[in-house]
Amino acid sequence: MAGTIVADTLTHSTAGSLTTDYVVNGSAKAWIAFNGTGTIATRNSFGVTSISDNSTGNYTVNFSNSFSAADYAQQTSGDAAASAHFGTASITETYTTSATRGRFFDAAGSGVDTAFANVTTHGDLA
Amino acid sequence: MTPDFTGTHLWDRLCWAKENLEPHQSDYRVVYEDSIDECAKILVADPNWMACAMAGGILPPVWVYWELAKDEAQPDFKRHTRGYLLHETPPVGPMTEEEAIEYLIQKDVPQHVWQNWDEGNRPKMVICKKEQLPQTRVWRNAWRISDEIKVAA
Repeated sequence: MAGTIVADTLTHSTAGSLTTDYVVNGSAKAWIAFNGTGTIATRNSFGVTSISDNSTGNYTVNFSNSFSAADYAQQTSGDAAASAHFGTASITETYTTSATRGRFFDAAGSGVDTAFANVTTHGDLA
Repeated sequence: MTPDFTGTHLWDRLCWAKENLEPHQSDYRVVYEDSIDECAKILVADPNWMACAMAGGILPPVWVYWELAKDEAQPDFKRHTRGYLLHETPPVGPMTEEEAIEYLIQKDVPQHVWQNWDEGNRPKMVICKKEQLPQTRVWRNAWRISDEIKVAA
């Protein structure tokens, strides 16, 4: 591919070196920011084929590039409303190599639709 | 125009697409029911993925995902050993928006839904426009596909 640089190590003039494995392994392999209210919609993303609105505050993110195993690390976060900015508790409910399902809850522990939902996934690709 | 990505890792293809393709927000929504105990689910295509599908030359054929799903369904599955299918299988050509939705259904909707979508008393899956969905989510957990839906011949 044009513009490709092949390198195993990056070296700074004073701060030392690191192997490019760190860069690859440290990059999020899939991420998405979406509006989970109304007819849910993606704001921005990478490595995602689709999202599913499963029920109130319950969403599935489907990956373009499967992970090698269901042992990836995932972070979910969300704000229930742009103006209020009250936090939501979030959990990852299921992991497969091709999709993950997350849920968002309000302070009372009930499912809540999340206006600013974010999912970031790190791990090894298949 | 999409470069020749034959043999290029899918990750690299997606990186190129992110930099070079304009996201496409589809108005199509796929409504499906995969359990009688749960409400209807709504599948929404990702705009960056839709751009890849419509550009062509980036995405692997959908059967690649089926093969990986078969591997993962094995009781002794630990890690994928056939990930090369994603990267080495020649990418599919450009799709229309409607063809991309069909691809997406076959990738992201459970197979038991789309393979038998019109069997039984009523359809288990419907493709619609987002304007046709309820405008309020007050009763979101009670959403169901209408019994009055008629399947087009």
